[in-house]
Amino acid sequence: MLERKEYQKYVEDNSPKSPMTRTLFAAFVVGGIICCIGEGIGDIIKLIFEDMPEKEVAIWESCIMIFLGSFLTAIGVYDRLGRFAGGGSIIPITGFANSVTSPAIEYNREGVFFGICAKMFVIAGPIIVFSVAASFLVGLIGYFCV
Amino acid sequence: MKRTFRLNRPVYIKSGFTIVGPKEGDGNFGDRFDIVLSDDLWCEKSYEKCESKMHRDAITGAIKKAGLNREDIDIMMGGDLLNELSSTSLAARNFPTAFLGLYNACSTFSEAMLIASMLIDGGFANNITCSTSSHYSSAERQYRFPLELGNQRTPTAQWTVTCAGCTVLSSTPPKRYNCEVYEDDIIAVDKGLQVDDKTLEKYKKSVEKQKLVIDKGRSNIIRDNFAHDNNDYGKANSHYAVVTGGTLGRVIDLGIDDEANMGAAMAPAACDTIITHFEESGLSPSDYDGIFTGDLGRFGKQTLEYLLSKEGITLPTYYMDAGASYFTAEQKTFQGGSGAGCINTVFNGYILKRLQRGELKRILVVPTGALLNKDTPLQKETIPGISHAFTVESRPFDKIDTKKYS
Repeated sequence: MLERKEYQKYVEDNSPKSPMTRTLFAAFVVGGIICCIGEGIGDIIKLIFEDMPEKEVAIWESCIMIFLGSFLTAIGVYDRLGRFAGGGSIIPITGFANSVTSPAIEYNREGVFFGICAKMFVIAGPIIVFSVAASFLVGLIGYFCV
Repeated sequence: MKRTFRLNRPVYIKSGFTIVGPKEGDGNFGDRFDIVLSDDLWCEKSYEKCESKMHRDAITGAIKKAGLNREDIDIMMGGDLLNELSSTSLAARNFPTAFLGLYNACSTFSEAMLIASMLIDGGFANNITCSTSSHYSSAERQYRFPLELGNQRTPTAQWTVTCAGCTVLSSTPPKRYNCEVYEDDIIAVDKGLQVDDKTLEKYKKSVEKQKLVIDKGRSNIIRDNFAHDNNDYGKANSHYAVVTGGTLGRVIDLGIDDEANMGAAMAPAACDTIITHFEESGLSPSDYDGIFTGDLGRFGKQTLEYLLSKEGITLPTYYMDAGASYFTAEQKTFQGGSGAGCINTVFNGYILKRLQRGELKRILVVPTGALLNKDTPLQKETIPGISHAFTVESRPFDKIDTKKYS
């Protein structure tokens, strides 16, 4: 039979690859649309509550997008969108909501404690750890240097 | 150290029974399965429970189809892809039979067939069931990600087949007619159950609900479909199938570490087993009417052909990969089907029927398995493959043996 290196090279050269143009285009368009919807929601909030400070608008906007992401996951739409858009629907905050909601739905059958609560962060866990660690680091730098 | 063996006496295939999910029913073998479900939960609370139920009912169906009773079975052998063989073990608790759980990933079926035929050949048992199952949703959760996660599958990915199948091997020859299996044999309230009327009523209602899930248009056990060409009920078989030998596989690892490219990880194992089989048995591909691999997928199939061509072996045009042929191109499964039940349901639903009609005389079935769990790739381990092969021959019935089961 072939040598290990020779075989690995054959597999690498001949394995079917993702169609880059199509997937990049889909990710760009869908990701863009999701961000536009987010911006639109921000604008509507500003229209309704004229006195709301910018920061608070951004918080409300994120909350609504997270709700939409979770809701679409629960009714089984977001995974289909993800299959088409790839990174386009994973990177925005709706994708983060999806990565928390989907294991929560999946592990519902193992009960509330060791099912939903324990498994909810199996995918989003690393993101949360890194963001907490990064904010701690930035805080330290800010405290001592600025 | 010979790995190929020939059995001294014939080990007969009594029957094969298959249960598949809706997507599989839409696939290329859609009209060949005994039961096609229209819902992959089958009134259960989880996919694992559903897989276990499919497994149990495939065994029940196969025993009935062979004209046997539960008590006639000496040993049950089976496996699946879930941790600690949970779906097989939970299915086996419903039977009063000795049980051996086996695991060789997707080649568990051939492992079971080989061990069972050796045991029957050695005179240790008369009737053995060989069953395997897999479920897309339970495998996806165990090996990959939650179902609703919006991620993309890579083009090398395969689709775990939702199915369960069972073959009954025996030391006595089968009858010409398959014993008819009814819905009531598969789904029924247990007769020995000691419950009050209210609970019994609840069970009866749930049985009715479960029956509705069976796809009436495509399931072979439904009487209206008996006339279909690919249905093996109500028709006399001209031939019977006999397991005659096989080749046990080695664990082969050529350093593939991509768990989304199982075909490439398993192809070297299949290559090794096929080469060993031909060398040790003295046969060549032209001695077979059919060579079937398990679930290499389209790319894995191409890789196997490349590896064998390097060794100077050309596989004939009738070579088929069950996984690559399982689904149609429109079903978007990329490389095709995979899973412990994949080759099992293709064997029992498609290959066995062709053997029994005499269309195939001698075949080699070479299922392959990728031996990994969720953690080994994270621990930077490569993925080894394994493959066991078994040979099945079909022989014509004597003219006298035309009795139907009573």
